[in-house]
Amino acid sequence: MSESNGYAVRTAGVWKIFQQEAEEVQAVRDVSLTIERGEFTALAGPSGSGKTTLLNLIGGLTRPTRGEIWVAGSELGALSNRELAQLRLEEVGFVFQAYNLLPVLSALENAEFPMLLQGTPAAERAARVQELFERTGMTGLEDRRPGKLSGGQQQRVAVVRAVASQPALVLADEPTANLDSHASEALLDMMAELNRELGVTFVFATHDGHVMERSRRLVRMVDGAIDSDETRS
Amino acid sequence: MHFGVITMLALRNLRRNLRRTILTATAFIIGGALLTFAQTFGDGTHEQWIDSGVRTGSGHVTVEVPEFRVSRKIEDRLPGGTLQLVRKAVESSAAADRVTDVFYRLTINGLATSASGARPAQILGVDPTIEASLSPLDEQVVEGRYLKKDDRLAAFVGAGLVDALDLRIGSRLVVMAQDAHKEVAGQLVRVVGIFRTGIAELDDSVIHVPIATAGEWLGTGRDLTNVGVMVDSSVAVPGLVRHLRRELAEPIAKGDATVMGWREAMPSLHAAVLVDEWGGYLMLGILFVIVGFSIINTVLMSVLHRHREFGVLQALGLTPRQTASVVLVEGLLQTVVCALIGVGVGLAITAAFSGGIDISELYNDQEMQFSGVAIDPVIVPMVTPVRILYILGFMMFVGIVSSVYPAMRAATIDVTESMKFER
Repeated sequence: MSESNGYAVRTAGVWKIFQQEAEEVQAVRDVSLTIERGEFTALAGPSGSGKTTLLNLIGGLTRPTRGEIWVAGSELGALSNRELAQLRLEEVGFVFQAYNLLPVLSALENAEFPMLLQGTPAAERAARVQELFERTGMTGLEDRRPGKLSGGQQQRVAVVRAVASQPALVLADEPTANLDSHASEALLDMMAELNRELGVTFVFATHDGHVMERSRRLVRMVDGAIDSDETRS
Repeated sequence: MHFGVITMLALRNLRRNLRRTILTATAFIIGGALLTFAQTFGDGTHEQWIDSGVRTGSGHVTVEVPEFRVSRKIEDRLPGGTLQLVRKAVESSAAADRVTDVFYRLTINGLATSASGARPAQILGVDPTIEASLSPLDEQVVEGRYLKKDDRLAAFVGAGLVDALDLRIGSRLVVMAQDAHKEVAGQLVRVVGIFRTGIAELDDSVIHVPIATAGEWLGTGRDLTNVGVMVDSSVAVPGLVRHLRRELAEPIAKGDATVMGWREAMPSLHAAVLVDEWGGYLMLGILFVIVGFSIINTVLMSVLHRHREFGVLQALGLTPRQTASVVLVEGLLQTVVCALIGVGVGLAITAAFSGGIDISELYNDQEMQFSGVAIDPVIVPMVTPVRILYILGFMMFVGIVSSVYPAMRAATIDVTESMKFER
C-alpha cells in the first residue's frame, strides 16, 4: 500500500463519523486532499468544521470511518497500532494548542524526546536541538521545566520538539490560540523560517486570521467537508 | 521497547508527585515491616514448637523400623549396627555442618507396678548423658535428679505416675514388658528423680531408664528402637532426610529401616504448625489486600490525572502497551524499593528482639503446651533466606498486580479525547 513519496499527505474520500448517543455526527465528510512536501498549509474553518479531526486522522491518532490516508508513502489503514505509533514517531511531528510538553522533563529533554525514542545518539540530539534553540531564541532556557516557561516559550519548545526529529510532516493544531499577538507572530515567523530553510512541511488547523494570512495554501472547511482550496504565490 | 526512556519517565513521575509517592511508600513499607516481623516471629514460634516437640519426641529426623511407630513392639527394632550407619552418614560432609546431636533410644510400651498397683507406661531406655543435654524433661525435675552416666537400676518417673503408684524418691518400682523372646519380663528399678511437665500425657506415663539396663532386661543387647538426629534448624530437615535415605538405601530397601522427618513422625505437630501458619497467611493476606487496594487507588488517581500526558506520549510515538509500561514500571520501581526497605525495617525489628520475646504473661505464667509438647514461652524470631525471598516476592507481586489495572486504563485512553482534557 505504498504510494509515491512526492507528497507528504494524501487523503482519498475520507469520512469520520462519530456516534453521539442516538445521533450520528459526520465530523469529516468525503475529504480528498494532497499536500506536497514543503507546503505551508492552513486548514481553516469555524469550530466544529472538522479541521482538528482531519488533523488527527492525518496524524494517525484516530482511524477514518471510510477512505484512505497516505502519509510519507504509507497507507495508514494498513498499519497496525504498533506500526502507526512508529510512523508517528518517525514521520509526524505534533504541535498542540495547549503545548502539551511533558511536565517532568526540561525544555531540552522535551525537545529531544522523539529523538530519544528513535534512538538518535546523544551528541546528534544535542546538536540538532541546540541549533533549533538558537534559531528560536530559546538558548539559556534549556534546563527549565515547562511550568517555568511562558506560553510562547512552551510553544516554541513544542515546535522544536516537532521538527527536531526531521519528520516528513508537522501537524499543528491551533498553535497560536493561547498566545498573545506578539508571541503568535514570533512563532509564525519561526515556523515559516523552518519551512523555508529546512523544507519542513507544516499543516495547521486554525481559525486565527493571522495564521491564514501567513499560509501559502489555505483549505477552508465547513461542516466536515472542504469548501475551498486556494494556493497563494 | 524504550526501556530506558520509560524508566526515566517513571522515576521523574514518582519524584514529581513526591507526597503521593511517600504516602504510598509508607503504607507499603509499614506493611512489609509488619509482614517480615510477623513471619520471623511466627517462624520462631513454630521453630520453638518443633524444637520442643522433637526433643521430647523422636528428633528432627528419626531412623526406625517401618512398623515400629504403630506397633511399638520390641521385635520391631533396629540392629545395634544401625547407629553406626547413621553416625557415619551424618558425619559426612553433606550433613555434618547442620547436625548437632545424634541420640538413640529403646522405647517400649509396658506396665509399671508398685505395691500400690500397676499403670500402663511408656518406658524409654536412654543414654543419660546425651538425653540430659537434649530432652527438656531433665529441666522439669521436681524432686531428686535426672539419670546419671553410671546409673544402672535407676528410673526417672513422671509425677502423675509417681502419685498413682504411691512412689517417692528411693521407692522400688517394677517395669514389665514383652522381651525379645516374646516373654513377659520384669525389671526392678529405683526412683531417682521425678519430673512434672504439666502435660498429663507425659507426667502420667513416661519413665526413663538407662539404655544398658533396658537392653539387658529386654534381651535386646545393643539394639535400638529408634535413632534420632537433631539439626540446628528445622529447615535443614528435608535435605538431611534425603541424604540419610541415600546412605541407608540398603536397609530401607530390605524393609529393615525407614527415615522420617519430624513432619511424618509427628503429624499432629505438623498439622498444628500448618494451621497456625495458614492462619497467619490469611491475616497477612487481608492486610495486603487492603494495602494493595490503597496502591490501586493511589496509582489510579495518578493515572486519571495524567490522561493528557499519556495522550502526548502516544502522539509522540509510544504504543498503548509502552504507555501502560510507564505506569507498570512506576509501580515496579516503587514496589522494589519499598519491599527492600520494608523487609529491612522488619529485619531490624526482628534483630531488636533477637534475645527472644517472653510471652508467658499471655498464659498467666502457666505451663505452655502445644500438641502434647511443653513449649518455652520465650520466642526467638527466626530469619531464613527462603522466607525473606518469599516476602519480597509476595510484596512485589502485590505491587505489580496493583499497578495492572491503572496501567490498563493508561493504555486504553482515547488519545484525541485526552488531548481535549483540560486540567
